[in-house]
Amino acid sequence: MAGTAITIPEIQMEQVSMQYDTGASDVLAVQQVSLKIAKGEFVSLLGPSGCGKTTLLRLMADLIQPTSGMIKIAGQSAREARLAQKYGIVFQNPVLYDWRKVKDNITLPLEMMGVQKARRSKKAEELLELVGLQDFGSQYPWQLSGGMQQRVAIARALSMEPEILLMDEPFSALDEFSRERLNEELLLIWSKVKNTVVFVTHSIPESIFLSDRVFVLSPHPGRLSSVVEIPLPRPRTQEMRNSPEFFQLIAAIRDRFEGV
Amino acid sequence: MLYRGRMLPTIVWGLGLLILWEAVSWLMLQVLQVPLAQSKLPYIHKVLYTFGQYGSTLLMEGGVTFANAGLGFLLGAIAGTLIAILMSISKWVEQLTFPYAVASQMIPILGLAPIIYGIVRDEQLARVLIAGYITFFPVALNMLRGLRSAEPAALELMYSYAAKPWQMYWKLRFPAALPGLFSGLKIAAPLAVTGAILVELMGARQGIGVIMLRNLYYGPSHNYMFWSTVFIGAMLGVASYLAINLMERIAAPWQPEFRVKGGGR
Repeated sequence: MAGTAITIPEIQMEQVSMQYDTGASDVLAVQQVSLKIAKGEFVSLLGPSGCGKTTLLRLMADLIQPTSGMIKIAGQSAREARLAQKYGIVFQNPVLYDWRKVKDNITLPLEMMGVQKARRSKKAEELLELVGLQDFGSQYPWQLSGGMQQRVAIARALSMEPEILLMDEPFSALDEFSRERLNEELLLIWSKVKNTVVFVTHSIPESIFLSDRVFVLSPHPGRLSSVVEIPLPRPRTQEMRNSPEFFQLIAAIRDRFEGV
Repeated sequence: MLYRGRMLPTIVWGLGLLILWEAVSWLMLQVLQVPLAQSKLPYIHKVLYTFGQYGSTLLMEGGVTFANAGLGFLLGAIAGTLIAILMSISKWVEQLTFPYAVASQMIPILGLAPIIYGIVRDEQLARVLIAGYITFFPVALNMLRGLRSAEPAALELMYSYAAKPWQMYWKLRFPAALPGLFSGLKIAAPLAVTGAILVELMGARQGIGVIMLRNLYYGPSHNYMFWSTVFIGAMLGVASYLAINLMERIAAPWQPEFRVKGGGR
């Protein structure tokens, strides 16, 4: 799982560059990034703002296309993977549809796939339980707190059983306490689902707590500066945050930023 | 309690306005002795009395106006919605039609009404067409804005599901556009009624506008009747607005202004 003996990588990027054409000055958001992520791996893209971490995620999701370089998702192109509905995406904001009840927000992707209503509502119940919102299925999104809304967004992303879960700073709008609790819940959910997760964050502790590997990115232009293996055992617990290993990892990653 | 709390200010306001009206009317007639004082601001109780006396006629004529305005409004709203959808699908359609839509609104209704009437030679059809014409623009404009109001992230989400164009519209753009559509309808509904009355003033056999014009000609002796027709006209406008408001509550109840306070957890 630690990504050493990779056969066909789930996500592969080769020399990917992304230039935003902004008229006056072209911005090089990502410069020649190459990386491989194994199936079932949980990785984080970590870096300060302007390091292109969100751009990388959006490239993987085929929301944007690279200026140069190659992206393969289990051997397919990113576009083919998107059309095959392999992605579940969780954005920084929950992006729930106000006119749909919580359960109908969760099953939106299934509706798109043409899944029958009976199966959809069964799936909604499972997922609501998975994210701990059993009693809230018939509420509207705006009746829920921010943390709950983000859990709905996660449930929605999981509803189509995506092979790849892409998360773009999903907890950055939440307070520290909710964030740490949701980190733990996310790992619990992931231990049941076991798909590939790419998690974008600017928080060093968050990336360590969650990931098998952390991709450290540096800004201007955004590039991959190093990859840090996180040898902490799973399941991870809140106590681990206070362990010497955890602090050593934080220090090690911080060093990499200062080296840039 | 909530209900009473909301109704009370309205009742106080209404009563206050009536008393003020009556007082100013009396002042103009008895104290200041303004010429034609009752034409300028009649005693409200006399207007209401006349209203009661001829109520059934007034309401029937009002009903004719309302039905025509309603039909025109419906057609105008459908046309406006369809054009807005076409404009949102194709920039080309927008660039082609938008200038004409704007230009059409520059023609004064007062001038257009006799032209339309002259062409179709049918008072009923003319009323419907004018009401539709007035409705069209605000509905198209607000619907278009509504269709464009979906957040970029919400659209990206659909894109990531490999949504088909019709799914994009049906599941995201239409629901997101409903608040815009309804604000367009709310602007248009009273205007459609006004438009229909305007056409009636040009010459018709039925409708509240006809009674209005007739009683205006008869002069001060029919003053209270004239004011009654004005009231009916206003009531029709208010009724149309309230009807749209009710529909909005049913069709798009998720909007922030309809949310029950304290429902959040």
